[in-house]
Amino acid sequence: MKPSYPDISDILARKAAARRERAQRSFAEKIASVEALRERVEPLRKAREATRIKTGGHSGRR
Amino acid sequence: MASIKMSDTLRVLNRLQAEGVIGTYAIAGAIAAFRHIEATLTDDLDLLVSIKAQGGLALVMLEPIFARLRAWGYSEFRLEGIVIEGWPVQFLPVASDLDAEALEQAENIELSLGTPEASVRTRALRAEHVVAIAVKVGRPKDFVRIHQYLEEEAVDLDALRGVLVRHGLKDRWQGFCKRTGVADPIFG
Repeated sequence: MKPSYPDISDILARKAAARRERAQRSFAEKIASVEALRERVEPLRKAREATRIKTGGHSGRR
Repeated sequence: MASIKMSDTLRVLNRLQAEGVIGTYAIAGAIAAFRHIEATLTDDLDLLVSIKAQGGLALVMLEPIFARLRAWGYSEFRLEGIVIEGWPVQFLPVASDLDAEALEQAENIELSLGTPEASVRTRALRAEHVVAIAVKVGRPKDFVRIHQYLEEEAVDLDALRGVLVRHGLKDRWQGFCKRTGVADPIFG
């Protein structure tokens, strides 16, 4: 029996609209959002750096 | 608008320029792209800069900048960039005709932070130059960025065509389209 899947085109359209809305924000708003994101991942960055130092390996970033 | 750290970074860069340590500069890379497309996480601030010194290795050319920044208390390096007010800044000297054109035609912008006193003036690359440089560099993340520009209709395709042709990047552009399965909107 052929499986039946839902039509998710409305979800994809909504996601695309949200992306367009975020793209239309002012430059300052976007920078502020990037800085907020950076603050959130800062603990991860520090942990990665600590692991790199401890193991003497690279951080995975190039 | 709440204050943002990058405004202080840009003020330091403007001071470097005002004191003649660097010539003109423009924001490049991901941050420049965020003027046109949806912002995502990025770690550093790329700057295209004109520097008086001719020839030589870039890191040697950049030493006077680092020396001045050290004198101002900025000596930490992170992610290949020198940290200025919280942002690792990567100085990229003009290294090709494409870079030179991109810097010359960069747009004057004001990072508006609510009040005129809080705002800061800077320059940033135009969309067609951000895309052309991404085509030239050609890493997977550059391809993702180009795709975003196309999907969000954030670049003037006529202007981009001109840049690609002037700088011999038509083949690379067509390679991008072929590899990513994008119908070529420029050269068909």
